[in-house]
Amino acid sequence: MISVNKIFFLIVLSSFWFINVLAQTTFESQFNYAEKLYDEENYFDAVTEFKRLLYFDKSESYDYRANMFIGLSYKQGGKFSEALQFLSLARFHSESDKEFFNSSIEIIKVNILRRTTGRAFALLDTLANDNRFINKSEEINYWRGWAFIFSDDWQKAASTFSKYKSDEQLVELCDSVTNELYNTQLAKYLSLIPGAGQFYTGEYISGLISIGWSVLWGYLTIEAFIEDRILDGVLIGSMLWWRFYSGNIQNAEKFALEKNLEITNSALNYLQHKFAGEKP
Amino acid sequence: MRKILLIIFLVQLTIFPQSTSFDFHSPQKIKLFADYLFCEKDYLRAIEEYEMIRNQFVIDTIEFKVMLGYSNLGLSKNSNKIFSDFNIESKLYPDAYLVSMKNELLIDSKPLHYSEFSSFTSSQFESYVRLLNISALYGDEQSITKNNFLTLYSKEDQNTLSKLYDYKFDPPYKSPAWAGIFSAIIPGSGKMYVGEWGDGITGFLLTGLFAFLAYDNFKADHDTRAWIFTGIGAFFYAGNIYGSISAAQIFNAKINFEFSNGLKLFLENKNYFIPDYDFCK
Repeated sequence: MISVNKIFFLIVLSSFWFINVLAQTTFESQFNYAEKLYDEENYFDAVTEFKRLLYFDKSESYDYRANMFIGLSYKQGGKFSEALQFLSLARFHSESDKEFFNSSIEIIKVNILRRTTGRAFALLDTLANDNRFINKSEEINYWRGWAFIFSDDWQKAASTFSKYKSDEQLVELCDSVTNELYNTQLAKYLSLIPGAGQFYTGEYISGLISIGWSVLWGYLTIEAFIEDRILDGVLIGSMLWWRFYSGNIQNAEKFALEKNLEITNSALNYLQHKFAGEKP
Repeated sequence: MRKILLIIFLVQLTIFPQSTSFDFHSPQKIKLFADYLFCEKDYLRAIEEYEMIRNQFVIDTIEFKVMLGYSNLGLSKNSNKIFSDFNIESKLYPDAYLVSMKNELLIDSKPLHYSEFSSFTSSQFESYVRLLNISALYGDEQSITKNNFLTLYSKEDQNTLSKLYDYKFDPPYKSPAWAGIFSAIIPGSGKMYVGEWGDGITGFLLTGLFAFLAYDNFKADHDTRAWIFTGIGAFFYAGNIYGSISAAQIFNAKINFEFSNGLKLFLENKNYFIPDYDFCK
C-alpha cells in the first residue's frame, strides 16, 4: 500500500513540474511566434518579438537564440551594424562550442557583405587557430574564399576554394573571372603606342580617336620644328601633343578598371541570383 | 511532514496563476517594453508599442514620448499631430509646446511668432527664445544684429550660427554677369573670380595658346592651319565665358544649399531646445 504521505508528495512534485513546464511553454511560444515571423520574412516584427522575449525572460535561456535571430533579421534588412551588434551579443551568450562557432561565422558573413573583409579575415584566422574547431577547417576555408571574392582578389579566392573538392563550382567561376580580368598595368604600358591600350580593352573607337589626336599633334609639332618655328613646336608639343598622349595612357587604364568592374559585378550578380550553394 | 508538504503545495498554487497568466501583450507589459525600447532609442518600435495602449492609458508621458519619438525620427508632422491633442493642463505641456515649435520650424521653414506663455520655467523660456531667435534666419528681414543673435548660444554653436547668419543676410554670392564679362575681357578670369583658380589658369593658357598659334600661322601664311587654330581658340574662348557664368550660378546655388541644409541639420541635431528628461535614468 502506498502511504498518504507518498501520494501527497507525488502530487506536490508533479504540480511543481507542471508549473515549471507551463512557465517555460509561455516563453517558448513567444520564441516560436517570433521565429515564425522570421520564417515569414517579416523581419521588423520578428525583431520586435525577439526583443520582447529578451526583455521579459529573466532566466536568460533565450539570450543566444533570440540575439542570433535579431542579428539575422537586421542582416536581412541590410542593417549590418545593428546585425553585428546583436550577433556579437549572441556569441557572448553562447553556451557551447557549436553556438560560438555558428555566431562567429554569422559575424564573419556580415563583415564579408559589408566589405570589412580585414575583420572577416582576422576572425577566420582566430577560428582556424582554435583547437576546438579543427574539424571545421573546410567551412572556415569556404568563408575565407568568399572573403577573398569580396576583397576583389579572385585569384586567391580560386586557390582557397581549390583546397576542397566540394567547392569546384566556385573554383571554376573565380578562375574564369581571373582570366577575364584585364591587366590595368598592361593596358597602361601598351598605351605608350597611342590607342594600343584601348584596343586591348576592346574600346576600338576610342583607340582610333587616340591615334588620330596623337598623330595630328605629333605631325604639327614635328613640322613646326622642321620649319624652324621653334616656339610653335614647343607649344604644340607640350600643350597639345603631350596632353593627348598622356590622356591616352590614363584613358586606357580607366577603361581596364571599368571593364574589370563590369566583369566582377556580373560574377557577383551570378553568385547572388544563380549560385545554389551557401552565400554570405 | 504533511504540513510542510501542504505549505509547499499552497505556495505552488499561488505561483501557478502568475506563471500561467504571463501575457506578453498585456497593456502593462506593452508599456514596460515600450519604455525599454524608447530608452534604447528604438523609437519606431517604441511608438508602435505605445500606439497599442494609447486608448487604455491616458498618460501624458506616453503622449509626450510618442511625440518626441516621432520628432527624433524626423517625422515632424506626425509629432505635431500628437501635440494637437495634447492635454493643456499637463505638466509636460510647455515641453511639448517647445517640441512642437521645433517641428513647425522644420516643417514650414518660416520665422516663428512670439506668443505669451506663462507656464514656462526660466530654462524653458531660454530655449523658447533661442528657437525664436534661430527662426529669424528663415525670414527675409534682418530683424536682429549679428552680435545680438549670437549671444544666446554657446561658443561652439556660435561658429556654425555665425556662418549661417552671414549666408542668410550677407551671402558671398558671385555675380554670373560679372563672371561672364571678366572672362570675355581676360579668358579664365571669370573662373578665378568664382574661386576656380585651376580652371581659370587652364582656360587662360589654352585660349592664349590657340590665339598665339593662329596669329603665328597667319603670319607664316599657313592660312588653313591658322583658321583651324582660330576656330579652336574661339571655341575655348566662348566655352570659357559660358563656363564662368555657370560656375557663378553653381557657386550661388551651393551657398543656398549649404545654408538651408546647415540650418536644418543644426536644428535636428541640437536638442538643447528641449530640456533633458529623466525617463531613462
